[in-house]
Amino acid sequence: MSLFTLGIARGLLGQVLGMVIGMLLTCAVRILLGWEAWAAEPAWTVGAVCSIIGFLLGVGSLDDWLKWTRGIPTPLHHGPPVDKPAWTRYFSVDYNHKVIGVQYTVWGILLLMVGGTVAMIFRTELARSGLQFLGLDLYNSFIGMHGMIMIFAILLGVGGMANYLVPLMIGADDMAFPRLNALGFWFNVPGSILLLLSLFIGGWDAGWTAYPPLSARGPIGYQLFFLGVFAIGLSSIVGSLNLLVTLLRMRPEGMSLFRMPIFCWAVFATSLIQLTATQLIGTSFLMVSVQRAIGMGFFDPRGILGEVSPMVGGGDPVLFQHLFWFYSHPAVYIFVLPGLGIVSELLPVFSRKPLFGYKWIALSSMAIAIVGFLVWGHHMFVSGYNDILRIPFMYATLLVAIPTGVKFFSWLGTIWGGKVHFDTPMLFVLGAISVFLIGGLTGPILATVPTDFPLHDSYFVVGHFHATMFGGFVFPFFAALYYWFPKVTGRMYNETLGKIHFFIMTPAFWVQTLGQMGVGVMGMRRRIADYDPTLGAGQIENWQMAVTIAGFAIAFGVMLMLWNFFQSAEVGAAAGDNPWRSRSPEWQIPSPVPEHSFPAPLHVVGEPYDYGLADAGYVTTASTGDD
Amino acid sequence: MAKNRRHFGIATVLIVICTFVVYWVLDSVLLKPAAAVLEAGPIDYLFDLHIWLIAFLFALVAVFMCYALIVFRSRGDEGDGEHIHGNGTLEIIWTVVPCFVVVYFAWISTTMLIDLSRPNPDEYVVNAEGRQWSWLFTYPESGAVTADLVLPVNTPIRMDLTSDDVLHNFWVPEFRVKQDSVPGMVTHVRFTPTVIGEYVLRCAELCGTNHSGMLATVRVVSEEDFQLWQSEQLAQAQE
Repeated sequence: MSLFTLGIARGLLGQVLGMVIGMLLTCAVRILLGWEAWAAEPAWTVGAVCSIIGFLLGVGSLDDWLKWTRGIPTPLHHGPPVDKPAWTRYFSVDYNHKVIGVQYTVWGILLLMVGGTVAMIFRTELARSGLQFLGLDLYNSFIGMHGMIMIFAILLGVGGMANYLVPLMIGADDMAFPRLNALGFWFNVPGSILLLLSLFIGGWDAGWTAYPPLSARGPIGYQLFFLGVFAIGLSSIVGSLNLLVTLLRMRPEGMSLFRMPIFCWAVFATSLIQLTATQLIGTSFLMVSVQRAIGMGFFDPRGILGEVSPMVGGGDPVLFQHLFWFYSHPAVYIFVLPGLGIVSELLPVFSRKPLFGYKWIALSSMAIAIVGFLVWGHHMFVSGYNDILRIPFMYATLLVAIPTGVKFFSWLGTIWGGKVHFDTPMLFVLGAISVFLIGGLTGPILATVPTDFPLHDSYFVVGHFHATMFGGFVFPFFAALYYWFPKVTGRMYNETLGKIHFFIMTPAFWVQTLGQMGVGVMGMRRRIADYDPTLGAGQIENWQMAVTIAGFAIAFGVMLMLWNFFQSAEVGAAAGDNPWRSRSPEWQIPSPVPEHSFPAPLHVVGEPYDYGLADAGYVTTASTGDD
Repeated sequence: MAKNRRHFGIATVLIVICTFVVYWVLDSVLLKPAAAVLEAGPIDYLFDLHIWLIAFLFALVAVFMCYALIVFRSRGDEGDGEHIHGNGTLEIIWTVVPCFVVVYFAWISTTMLIDLSRPNPDEYVVNAEGRQWSWLFTYPESGAVTADLVLPVNTPIRMDLTSDDVLHNFWVPEFRVKQDSVPGMVTHVRFTPTVIGEYVLRCAELCGTNHSGMLATVRVVSEEDFQLWQSEQLAQAQE
């Protein structure tokens, strides 16, 4: 078997060829125009665009559509590839949503490890004041890189959970558009490769937010970063469209919207945001990209780019922030809503009690999604935009607290009076609640403008943000990995290792996030390579050391989890079909899930979370019924 | 029900205790820089109010959660919990009550914000221009140009900020307030220094390689010292 039977190998080759072709194309055009043949920035930019197309052609994600243009029929193939080993399907284009879900998740975990490694490097640097081993420019590249890699990782993790679980939870055979689903995943690979590659051609030093004018001036790495984000954004858009159609059109008979498993509501709300907001980050980055490449000064106030083009000026750097945050604030809800959905999904199973206030929790996700569109301006309280704008954005931002509160109180109502089991997934759910509580409670102090003044762009924001991301995504994601691991692999993970992971990671994260907030209150700015050791009456270095140690403890915990999964996938005990005694449809079928998940169409005959009510069914297969 | 009432009674007591404990812990570990401007008064007051709110809400959720996890833990049996789907009254209460809290906080913040940004007819204006990676201060009244900022105590100050290249941010932690400086436009930040001393102005908007080192000294001096300093600057400029 040659290496190139793997789609991903062909894709990578295609990406390299695409890059070279794009660069040659640029040189050719420049020669025709009578300019010097080589100019690094346009060559890399065009090369990067072509490299994404090259990857998709190479991996074969566009094959079927290209055949359609020539009138060749392409029946949907189910099952492992006919002439290759079964495992190769995970490295090639495959249209089964369960394979695609695993592809998303594994790629997401890989990026999580890369992003975490970058964080560990600069956390080590920050353990002491003064510059130890990182240069200023590399440090600045690393913070942005950590941020953006993690965003990619989270989007992939969200995509993984949604693609694997949604069709199973609603009893659908697959997603509505399997080919689009595969394309959605494969966009991510060239996108993240471009992002990583950007570090080697100069990096980019304006953080993941890439505010111009700084981002319009720095190294060429910016172009690859912008295009990488563009590719991921395309993935978000096609993926969310697919999920929305699947959720709206492919539910079985009897499953009204309010009878879906609650995770589906979270995915629905998330997909609405992804489908409608992602365009804005694409637009804002594209505009900076064009400003850099050919001097169209959208965000250039007074001809800073004078040498490139004498006509620039009149652009507005603040405009970029509006466009950017119109996606990037709702993006935070894209990251946390599925995680909060996991919390709501797992709590009833491990409390053996119905979800408290199902409709309220479902609608609170929608409320967060909608209000989330109206709050972007709180990132700009000190940006220099019109002072009056601060007030409506402050009110809107504080409103987010209300649906979020509904979730917390409903979760408490779910546990109250239950019979709580403390298996590893449940522990991570409880950890998620505790951490998201810290993240949520530190939000209002940033939302009211007067208290935002001292905290804005300080390390307090870093602490707050990490608490929302860990509580809203990382902890629930890990809970989901432990919970559905037996469903995906058919084997049980090692419970002791799982518990050790939890008891290392949770206290470590509390120390980390509270430490970050603490140094922020002392007056430490965010995104600085070196800090003033006299801050906080000379206490700051001790706090920083504690945060760094906590960070390493978290990294150790994550590695323990991955080792557990690797090990258990081989030698774990057979898990059985339904080890958690869940009522959800995916647990009523064999583990691992067969190629065609459900032997017959589902019929929904009851409520999803009727724990504690004897003989109350949720789903049955039609074969037991009327024929 | 009677059992639930006892549970709620115990939980309430624990919440009250926990609120005070959390407030005390946060108050002692959060090391705010000393306040050196008039505006720090209301800002720190609101900050303190938030810490109370955080302490209470943390106690509320944490106590109920831990209490429920202990009392309602599974004791090895395979049975299920109570079959309760929810409680509409409770849901409405915990939707409506937070609305009032939120609007209250937004309202006092709004009035405070209006006070903080109200122009003062007697304000002393200093222009500041950020550049990678230093500041340039010009005093329109005297024409002095400096790299460090010197300000008279107990005088309302308005900084007119702009930038020569990329975004920067004017922040002295002891002054609390913060404002970006943006190329192509002038932004304002107002404060009244109340404590004579030396502070550090720290750029708080990522501005490239040496962002972490973009610092300037801020000296707040007495009115007489300020006049003296100003005439010195003028004399130097005329030489």
